[in-house]
Amino acid sequence: MALTEEALLERIRSGKLVEGPEYATERYLEGLKRTLIVSADTELISAPAYFRAAQDAPNINAYISATGIIQDELGHAHIAYRLLRDLGVDTDALVFEREPKEFKHPYAFDVPLETWTELVVANAFYDRAGFVLLGDVYRHTSYAPWKRALVKVDREENFHLRHGERWMEILAQDPDKKKELQRAVDWMFVLTLEWFGLPDSLKRHTDQIAYGLKGLTNDQLRQEWMKTAVPLCERLGLRVPAHYEPDLGQYVIDVPFPAEFDAEKKQWLFEKGPITWDQVLARWKARGPANEELVKAIQRGYERIRKALKA
Amino acid sequence: MEAKLMEALCEVLDPEYPVSVVDLGLVRGVAYEEGKAKVRLTFTSLGCPCTEIIKEDIRNRLLQVEGVQDVEIEEVFEPWSAEDISPKGRLILLQLGVT
Repeated sequence: MALTEEALLERIRSGKLVEGPEYATERYLEGLKRTLIVSADTELISAPAYFRAAQDAPNINAYISATGIIQDELGHAHIAYRLLRDLGVDTDALVFEREPKEFKHPYAFDVPLETWTELVVANAFYDRAGFVLLGDVYRHTSYAPWKRALVKVDREENFHLRHGERWMEILAQDPDKKKELQRAVDWMFVLTLEWFGLPDSLKRHTDQIAYGLKGLTNDQLRQEWMKTAVPLCERLGLRVPAHYEPDLGQYVIDVPFPAEFDAEKKQWLFEKGPITWDQVLARWKARGPANEELVKAIQRGYERIRKALKA
Repeated sequence: MEAKLMEALCEVLDPEYPVSVVDLGLVRGVAYEEGKAKVRLTFTSLGCPCTEIIKEDIRNRLLQVEGVQDVEIEEVFEPWSAEDISPKGRLILLQLGVT
C-alpha cells in the first residue's frame, strides 16, 4: 500500500525516522534530494577553493593542516553523494557532467580565496556556516541514514573551525597581517551572512520543516552563526558589521543588507544602499568569478579518462 | 609527578574525537626534571593535520600542573597503529561510528 503524505507527516511529527526511500513519499524524496545536493556540492567545491589558497601556506605543517581539511571536505561530499546514489541519483553525471553554473554551492565559494589569510578566515567563517547548517540537520533531520553519517562530519568540522580560529589569532598579533585579516573579514563576513539565504519574511519553510529536513529557519541559523562568529572577531580586535542588541536578544546587522557586491574587487558597495533579494538571487544564478575554474578542477580528470577510453 | 602528568594528559583530547591523547596511544613517555615536563609524543601518521594543535593543547594543559614551569615535547615518530588505542578509546570511537 502506498504511503500517503499525511501518514508520513504523522510519523515524522511523532519523532520517527525515515530509514530509506521505501518509507517515504515522492514529495519527501524530492525535497531530501534537493537538500542533499546543496550539501554535497558545498563540501565538494570547498575542496578546490581551499586548495588554491593552501598554496600560500606559511610552512609545511600549516600546509598539511590545510590539505587535511580538504581531504575531510571531500569525505563529507562523498557521504552526501553516496546517500544520493542510494536514492537512485546518477551521481557520476551529477558531479562530472553538470555545467559549472548548475552547481548548488553557495555563491561565497565562487569568489576566489587567494591567500593563507583568506583561507583561515574561510575556515573560521564558511566552515562555521557549514557547522551551523549541518548541526541543525543532524539534530532535526528525519532521514536516518543522513543523521548517522553526520556524527563524524560534525566532529571533523570542529577541527576546521579550530584551525581557522587558531590561525586568525596568530595573524592578529602581527600589525601588517592584522590589516590583511581585517580586509578579508570585511568582504567575507557579509558574504557568509548571505549564505543562509532569504530572510524568513520572504521564504516559507513549511515543507522543509514539516518533513524534518531542517529545524531552524534561515534567520535563526544566521543568528546562530553570528552568536560565535561576532565574539571571535571582537576578541581579536577585528571590526565586524554586526553587534548584539540586548533589548532584542539578538544580533543586528549594521550595514545595508543585502547589498551589491563587487566580486572582482572583493568589496561591498554599502554606499549604494540595500538591494532586493531578487537582485541577490540574480547574482547567485550568474555565479561568481571562480565558478568555472573550481568545477573544472573537479571534472578535469574524468574528462581525460573518458577521452582516453574513446581513443 | 609522572603520574600527575599522565593524569593531566588524559584530559587532552584529540582535536576531532573526544578521545584523549593517552587513550589514542600517542604518548610514549613522560618525565619530570626541575620544573620541566617532558613528553615523548608520536602521531597517528606523518601527515597528521593536527600536530600543532595537539602540541599546543598538551603544552597548555601541562603548564597548569603545579610545579611545571616548562614543557618539552619530543616528536618521536614511533610507528602508530590502531592497536595502540586503549579499549576505552576504542569504545568511544565505535560509538561515533569510527571503526
